[in-house]
Amino acid sequence: MNIIELSGVTKTFGSVVAVDNLSLEVPKGSIYGFIGPNGSGKTTTIRMIMKIMYPDGGSLRINGREHNSHRLQNVGYLPEERGLYKKMKIGELLQFHGELNNGTDLKRKIDSWLARLDLADYKEKKVETLSKGMKQKLQFIATILHEPEIIILDEPFSGLDPVNAEIMKDVILDLQKKGATIIFSTHDMSMAEKMCDYIFMIYQGKKVLDGTLSHIQDQYGSDTLRIQSDMGAGALEGVAGIEKVNDFSKLQEVRVASGFDPQKILAELLKKTRITRFEIAKPSLNDIFIRIASPDKKEDNHG
Amino acid sequence: MDKILTLFKREYRAAVRTKSFLISLILVPIMMGGGFLAVIIMENKQETEDKNFAVIDHSGMMVEPLKNALEIRNEKDIYDPETGEKAMSAFHVEFLEPAADIMEQQRTLSERVKSTELHAFIEIGPDILHPSEESESYLRYYSEHSFGDDIRYWFRNIINDQLRILRVSELNLDAEQTADLFRYLNVEGMGLVTVDKKTGEQQAAEESNELQSFLVPYVITILMFMLVMMSAIPLLVAVMEEKTEKIAEVLLGTITPFQFMMGKVMGGIGVSLTTAAIYVTAGIFTLNRLGYESLIPYEILPWFFIYTTLFIIMVGSGMAALGATANDNKDAQSLTFPGIIPVILPMFIMVPIIQDPSGTLATTMSLIPPFTPTIMMIRLATEVTVPTWQPIVGLMGVILFTIFSVWIGARVFRAAILLQGQKPTIANLFKYAFKS
Repeated sequence: MNIIELSGVTKTFGSVVAVDNLSLEVPKGSIYGFIGPNGSGKTTTIRMIMKIMYPDGGSLRINGREHNSHRLQNVGYLPEERGLYKKMKIGELLQFHGELNNGTDLKRKIDSWLARLDLADYKEKKVETLSKGMKQKLQFIATILHEPEIIILDEPFSGLDPVNAEIMKDVILDLQKKGATIIFSTHDMSMAEKMCDYIFMIYQGKKVLDGTLSHIQDQYGSDTLRIQSDMGAGALEGVAGIEKVNDFSKLQEVRVASGFDPQKILAELLKKTRITRFEIAKPSLNDIFIRIASPDKKEDNHG
Repeated sequence: MDKILTLFKREYRAAVRTKSFLISLILVPIMMGGGFLAVIIMENKQETEDKNFAVIDHSGMMVEPLKNALEIRNEKDIYDPETGEKAMSAFHVEFLEPAADIMEQQRTLSERVKSTELHAFIEIGPDILHPSEESESYLRYYSEHSFGDDIRYWFRNIINDQLRILRVSELNLDAEQTADLFRYLNVEGMGLVTVDKKTGEQQAAEESNELQSFLVPYVITILMFMLVMMSAIPLLVAVMEEKTEKIAEVLLGTITPFQFMMGKVMGGIGVSLTTAAIYVTAGIFTLNRLGYESLIPYEILPWFFIYTTLFIIMVGSGMAALGATANDNKDAQSLTFPGIIPVILPMFIMVPIIQDPSGTLATTMSLIPPFTPTIMMIRLATEVTVPTWQPIVGLMGVILFTIFSVWIGARVFRAAILLQGQKPTIANLFKYAFKS
């Protein structure tokens, strides 16, 4: 069952088409990753789902109900740019957000969440005394405190150190286990690969990817080689069948030209240097993202 | 409604729990009332420092009378009869013959006034006994600030008294018979005779005093001005900050723009009514203790609270909407003035309204909705009976205009609250209000 359904949704700002004829179905209980370059339409799509903005065309259904002017019940929303009342105490702020979302048993939940995200000692402190990462966690608690059915997180991991990002990831997965549907936008492709059941990519307002990771990767085939050699990137110069090289210094990721046999590339390389790793793989999400949204691609598109 | 209440609670707590609220609660009336009090104190306080004058008497008939009057003043009048302490300035006058070059003489004396050797100099025209259009019958008082210098009236009175004596003596009348010839009677300002509603007894008219006529409408107006200034006007900057700090977007995921705006306006009303309740209670208590209970305008207090509440909603929704269109402090500053006009304008015309509460200006302005709350309250607070229909019609106008303000404010607020970088021009405001 789909909990969110967008059909032919379009949103324009003046002459700019921010979201163009977008259709999307988010299954209940899934984690749906929204990816795309800055300014591609992710936040506008999220704002339309949240009814903060209204589409100019198309239809949008949440829990089977048509979009209307009433605010969504049982939804938690963490916007991309955080906004908290600086002068409020942490406990009071969470109580305020909990009440605004019709939450119940708030006092117990506030204490429990503050303890889990290591903020219990700050309950009586003002928001302005917190570090950026702490504010991030605080706003996350405010988003999920009322145990919403749908959780929409715009860039939830930005600004977090690896430890806190790990904690946040565990919480998100826990919430999914308890039945919540989670949409999150991110620029962290590895996080999206690891966490999301479905990935949706929007580019210049249009949907360019949508599906499970393996489904998306299948569209691109096994055209990626990961190579480690004594010569490094120098060994790849002049080798036929290589379309693009992404040099990570110790490792080179190579895109093979369509229809070219990777074994021929291996044979060529062995003539030049000693090979310590040669892996034929599907492209990573990061690679797919770059293929779609790189400046070269933009030029191609415009051309 | 629950969400508006939740937001109202937050706004109210955030405002009244601050130290600045407590400080302004104490300081604002002191500052505003202090000016009024200072005028009263200064009015009663006389200067006691001696003053020097020069008199050029072209008529040749005023030197002796002035010398006599000065002697009485300096030896007797300036001392408090009870304590014997000096309570007023002594005057020392230098009598000068008119010089051949009168212009030069005036210039020299002016220099002496400038150097503070003299307080002023007086020039008495030659034909003052029987003034006519052709004659030189002037009485001139030269000083640095002659308009505000009440000392000139002392000289005027002495000289005019002497002139009357001289004119009467020319008629060969007995001085005793003419003793009351120039006695003026003052008009006593009285209120109207009323009938006690409970007992049916007629109540004698009471003398109308300056304090009652001016102080009550003044205090009511200042209080209303202060309440709107402390609640509705700051909404512009508060909303602008919540927009720029992205708090608005977080809240708009949960509440509608209308709920957001109204929650903030209601918070402002809560703060104002708390302040009003404190001031009104303290005022009633103080006036009762001081024996001025007759000054308490109980009958207009309900009007005051109704009009103040609607005024805050009217101005507050406008200010919140303007705040939503602002991107930074510069925008906020430029938007404050147009938003504040309904609050400021009545302050400028307060005095003529108090002086003539039933005049055309007062009646017309009190029925124009943005100005009705303040102007109607001024009129109701004066001793004049305002026709019953006028505050009711005024109230209906204010209710309709407030609904319009909230409606249009909500439209602008909704359209602008998430927009970044759009300048709050008149064209944009119009677009947000009517085309969004």
